[in-house]
Amino acid sequence: MGHTRTDSGDETLLKIDGTLDALTAPELRPVLDQLVTESRKSITVDLSHLRLIDSSGVGALVSLLKRVRGYGGEVRVAGVRDQPLAIFKLLQLHRVFPGLPGA
Amino acid sequence: MITLSVPGSIEYRDIAVRVIGGACKFVEADDAEQFATEVVSAFSEAFNNIVLHGYRDIRASGTPPGNIEVVIHHRAVDDATRELTIAIKDHGRVFDPAQYVEPPDEMPERGMGLFIIRSFMDELRYQAGPPNVLTLVKRCRQGERKKSAPP
Repeated sequence: MGHTRTDSGDETLLKIDGTLDALTAPELRPVLDQLVTESRKSITVDLSHLRLIDSSGVGALVSLLKRVRGYGGEVRVAGVRDQPLAIFKLLQLHRVFPGLPGA
Repeated sequence: MITLSVPGSIEYRDIAVRVIGGACKFVEADDAEQFATEVVSAFSEAFNNIVLHGYRDIRASGTPPGNIEVVIHHRAVDDATRELTIAIKDHGRVFDPAQYVEPPDEMPERGMGLFIIRSFMDELRYQAGPPNVLTLVKRCRQGERKKSAPP
């Protein structure tokens, strides 16, 4: 799993690639915690290069969403495809993540 | 039949997933990509459950966790139906999926693994051990064009 963070004014773009799962989600958690600590209000998570996600990875993203919404911000996801899209559709996450195609 | 045995640590999941993904090709599903996506997703969650829950106490005691053995079969059920069966064996704590039936809520952070397994597989069986055996079964019906193709 790799990630890059780019800030532009109030906007933050977080790109995650590779695999986001039970092994790598703990590695990403400090990055997500830092976004919350800085109260970033508009976050886009680009998953166009994410190859595989599991329930631990989904849990990390949903946790971020809940915390950011807690202070009035928003998290969008972009570029979801292949196996991650199948998981997002199954869990009907289009209902909570703006920008996600409907099931 | 394909068998493999890997240490019950999350670092070894990727190796097992690659074997599962390869085994899916033998089923020759019409939509091979979707078939493999669903099987790999379900298997990954099952592997996670064994490592994170089944072997948690053993790992916490400082003892290396036991292995996870995976046995894969594929067969033709009839002229139009193929079936992939994955038996996953462990020596950890009993984790009976039948005790966990709730689907995830709208904003889930936990409890999604079994929901994913149930949704993507056609059958889920569990036999408490040792060894515990979780059996995942997925079938696919092949299209008319493939059915009529010469052997």
